[in-house]
Amino acid sequence: MELMKWERPAPTDLWEAFDGLRGEMDRALDLFRVPDAAGLFDRTTAPAVDVVETEDEFLVYADLPGVDKGDLELSVTGSLVSIKGEKKAERESDKRKVFRKETWKGAFSRTIVLPAQADPEKVSAELRDGVLAVRVAKREEAKARTIAVKAD
Amino acid sequence: MDKRKEISAPRTIVPACSISEDSGVVTLSLEMPGVQKEGFEIKIEGNELSIVGERRDAEARGRYLLRERRTGAYRKLFTLDETISRDKVDASLANGILTVKLEIKEAAKPKRIEIR
Repeated sequence: MELMKWERPAPTDLWEAFDGLRGEMDRALDLFRVPDAAGLFDRTTAPAVDVVETEDEFLVYADLPGVDKGDLELSVTGSLVSIKGEKKAERESDKRKVFRKETWKGAFSRTIVLPAQADPEKVSAELRDGVLAVRVAKREEAKARTIAVKAD
Repeated sequence: MDKRKEISAPRTIVPACSISEDSGVVTLSLEMPGVQKEGFEIKIEGNELSIVGERRDAEARGRYLLRERRTGAYRKLFTLDETISRDKVDASLANGILTVKLEIKEAAKPKRIEIR
């Protein structure tokens, strides 16, 4: 086996070259300490949301750091879950000098469509440590049932 | 699923952070939703203030229909200069926002000199 100088193969496709460049830029940006989409308003004024389906309910989680319970409005219409609210600014004084501002204030809203099995009558919600957790139960008829098999 | 977890190291999330100063107190506020009070580790080593918050809530049992929230640990490092007092550090958590208050040493505050 002989040792050869490694050379980056010339891209055969122009788009491949662009993709490679984009990947390199993404990696370079990762090195900076730029906040990820952890902030509330990084995703075009809508909070990041997880929707999880378990055996008998749907769980909706939304990251809402800095939002008070009173400034949050949650509504469920049919299978639509709508989260609306406003993040208020911290109290400010005239003498305050701001060095860096990555956190935001303002209004936001997000609407999620749940599958049709969701029961809008059975909803509970909890806001804790900046995370809103909404539980929407599944309709009784949609739940998986175990059918006992009778044997003679 | 479990195998993938073993291979990939937990992701680090850089929290959004605001820094301001008001009458000798520097306030850092970091958005760290999902971290409980017990999940924080805030320490000062030499000139480095490190804030680590372990997020445990983001992994739910069930099938994900939509997944946008980041999982992993929040991590943020700050370098403190000589003007910051190392002893007077106060941290509080409310609604997923961690507020750290640091005091500027008396000796480093600007002195006003009266003209006679």
